[in-house]
Amino acid sequence: MQHDLQRLLEAASAAVPGAQWVGLRKRRSTTTMFFARDAAFEQAAVEESAGVMVEVLYNGQFSYAATADLSPAAVARAAASALASAKAAENRGVFNFDSTVRPATKIQWETARKLKAPVAADSICDYLVKACNTLKVSDKVIQTIATASFGRYDYELVSTNGANIEQTLHFHGVGLQAVARDGTIVQKRTANGPWALIHQQGPELFDFDNLLLKARTVGEEAVELLSAEPCPTDTRTLVLAPDQMMLQIHESVGHPLELDRILGDERNYAGSSFVKLSDFGKFQYGSKLMNISFDPTLSGELASYGADEIGNKAEKQLLVENGILVRGLGSLESQKRSGVAGVANQRASSWNRPPADRMANLNLEPGTTAFKDLIAGIEKGVFMQANRSWSIDDYRNKFQFGCEYGQLIENGKLTKTVRDPNYRGISSTFWRNLSAVGDKDSFQAFGTPNCGKCEPNQVMFVGHASPVCAFDDVEVFGGGK
Amino acid sequence: MSSANDYKSHFNAVAAFVLGELRQDEQAAITYSAESSHFMRFNNAKIRQSGAVEQSFVQVKMYRGPKTWLFALGLSGILADDENLLAEAIGQARMTMSLLPDDPYQVVPEATDTSDASYTGKLLAEAEIPAKVLGPAEGMDFTGIFSQGVICRGAANSAGARHWFATHTFLVDYSAWLANGKGVKSSYAGRDWSDAEYATKLAVTRSSLENLTKPETVLKPGKYRAFVTADALNEVVTFFSWNGFGERSLQQGTSAYLALREGRETLSDKFTLSQDFSLGVEPAFNDAGETAPDKLVVVEKGRLVNTIVSSRTAKQYGVASNKAGEDEGMRSVAIAAGDLPEADALKALGTGIYVSNFHYLNWSDPASARITGMTRFACLWVENGSIVGPIKDMRWDESLYNMLGAKLEAVTKERHLQVENMTYEQRAVGGSLLPGILVDGLNFTL
Repeated sequence: MQHDLQRLLEAASAAVPGAQWVGLRKRRSTTTMFFARDAAFEQAAVEESAGVMVEVLYNGQFSYAATADLSPAAVARAAASALASAKAAENRGVFNFDSTVRPATKIQWETARKLKAPVAADSICDYLVKACNTLKVSDKVIQTIATASFGRYDYELVSTNGANIEQTLHFHGVGLQAVARDGTIVQKRTANGPWALIHQQGPELFDFDNLLLKARTVGEEAVELLSAEPCPTDTRTLVLAPDQMMLQIHESVGHPLELDRILGDERNYAGSSFVKLSDFGKFQYGSKLMNISFDPTLSGELASYGADEIGNKAEKQLLVENGILVRGLGSLESQKRSGVAGVANQRASSWNRPPADRMANLNLEPGTTAFKDLIAGIEKGVFMQANRSWSIDDYRNKFQFGCEYGQLIENGKLTKTVRDPNYRGISSTFWRNLSAVGDKDSFQAFGTPNCGKCEPNQVMFVGHASPVCAFDDVEVFGGGK
Repeated sequence: MSSANDYKSHFNAVAAFVLGELRQDEQAAITYSAESSHFMRFNNAKIRQSGAVEQSFVQVKMYRGPKTWLFALGLSGILADDENLLAEAIGQARMTMSLLPDDPYQVVPEATDTSDASYTGKLLAEAEIPAKVLGPAEGMDFTGIFSQGVICRGAANSAGARHWFATHTFLVDYSAWLANGKGVKSSYAGRDWSDAEYATKLAVTRSSLENLTKPETVLKPGKYRAFVTADALNEVVTFFSWNGFGERSLQQGTSAYLALREGRETLSDKFTLSQDFSLGVEPAFNDAGETAPDKLVVVEKGRLVNTIVSSRTAKQYGVASNKAGEDEGMRSVAIAAGDLPEADALKALGTGIYVSNFHYLNWSDPASARITGMTRFACLWVENGSIVGPIKDMRWDESLYNMLGAKLEAVTKERHLQVENMTYEQRAVGGSLLPGILVDGLNFTL
């Protein structure tokens, strides 16, 4: 395949002799999904797309043109179009870039998988129907949904300064949902949140026997919530499971640390950040227990890769170390513009969108407290699991998040289940109240396949791993009008 | 760049190929989308990224007996290549369908509707985009995106339906900022670019920025009177579709409007909500080639009178379809006008918050139709009908049964067309026609 892309690069380069640099970024994406509702098969679908983005550097300005026509003539036309855009933008760019922000990396990378051969469609459908039946633990369950998806993204990148990258990302995901109703009370429970069970793995993720056990728990907990008391309204210690820490990290750490937001690129759409460029190296983001890593090397997590989509080789980096902000989520371009240290995170949703600063795998490093000890140390608290609702301001400060399932913590023990648990706070205040971090035994990774950002808009795979964590003095509350 | 006619020919050829490949026991519903777009993203009135995208996609839902399979492909535009791709996908569909369970609520395409709507426009030449868009904004910290080009949608099925929609549009979706971090959001959209109209928009933006130079008011959590502009109300439109007025979600208990359906809650008699394709911003046909009625009133004076029903749901629950898409989302949303002149909005507000924009809304308790979100951009504190200055952004958390129910005090006479600005995967079509609303006692929490 690289031979083909090198040939296209020659065609593109020949069409733009005045360009300082030319790069070709090809992507082929295939996703297959199966969906059953209420034990009836509803939909099976496959989606495929392939194309190339030609990027041209001219007088310090990068411009692009994307096409799905992979003939040399079409790619040459795209290169000419990109050069015309760059010329039109001459002397109006936000920064005078050079080709050092497009490294000449050579790498081949592929998702590690235990199993590689796909599961047959009839086996998947059989599981989905069984899962729906298992989710329906009683007549109070009024809706069941089971889904399965898998796919691969093939990335290739070549450039006139010698980059040569081939990466293949394989993923599998499952979803389980039960909605239960008793009178006017309706409760929804899912397996770790609506989309979280998606990983860079092979078909080993389709462990149907274990998933059916999980389906039973989901159904039972949906029914259990119907008779649960509402979450109390007060201020107490909040303990978050990894399937909610995923969202907490994503919204209140990941997005505010994106350098393009801090530089103002996103102010019109996704928003800015409460973090300033001058904060790096000294800002107390959280308590000393807070260690946040950017880790695209963690096997199995959804946004692992060998290099980002401008060819910067991926490495694990700490962004917050012992509570102090030390590094941003910024690509080579943002690092040049800001003077702040960053990571390999210039990523694109597909061949038809230009890469920008994105999260990849953003994790909270495990601490040393066992889960039972963490709970035992809390006199009055609430343990919340699985994200249900998320909202945060455009500076990533004032947030309000909701979960599916809560349990009170009273005198060091988990006691009653509570429904409609919500909490709100302000990002850095919240993280400075991080009072306990679970050990490796509670460390779990989940995926977020739908992180939206950028103009034109892009939705992206990201991954988050975390242990169970406790936060002091958090405002919690329940539902109701 | 490809033209609308190029794409129409491509669509017709692709549809003819797929339909021609079907065997006697097979049927298909085909949808097509394409665009040829220029994008220029800007920050501080300088260019961050710029470029062009040409793309076309086809989605084919194939039916054989009670089996259904869907495939969606990115196309190259080279017909011979695309035919090979489609042939392979059809072959794969035949192999896979035999392994699938029956689809008990399958609705094979029966629509034979046809339509053909094409709108031309006067767009900017590529070379003049930076000067035309950024030149008039000089001196402002001007951030956002310019997009323009042709957008196409097509649908065809094995029963004979054939639809085509093409439009040439541009959009400057922007905000302008002061050094104090306060900003004003606006947009200029249409089919025929006018330097004069754009200059007028920017002049209003410059004027609006002046309000933000005043000292910031920091409010305590509590209930405040609020005037919610059409721009802000546009953020609420999503919540009529997501866990909203789709018949399936009401039947299956996931809708946030169960209490409305069951008579346990009401909305204000000042609130009327419709789906209205006369807005002319998107086609009325769906993926099956069915054409929705021009207008469907969903909530009339606070009462739920219709829901959004796909043919699949109609079959499953024995109700009548109103030709919705299978996701049963509302399209071309219109909220009826009221009797409050916009010019009197501040006077009617008296003392409270003028909400220019909302941000990042989500259900905080779907069962009680409660939404949380933030204020954003140029939200102002108003005392006795006069603007005091900007507020520090506030979180709010309120049931729609309050906001659009007992607390809805007035609706404006004037309505504003909100053009869809989403560009996930492709430039979207669509929009909403919305008034502003006056709410007494919106619940601000943080």
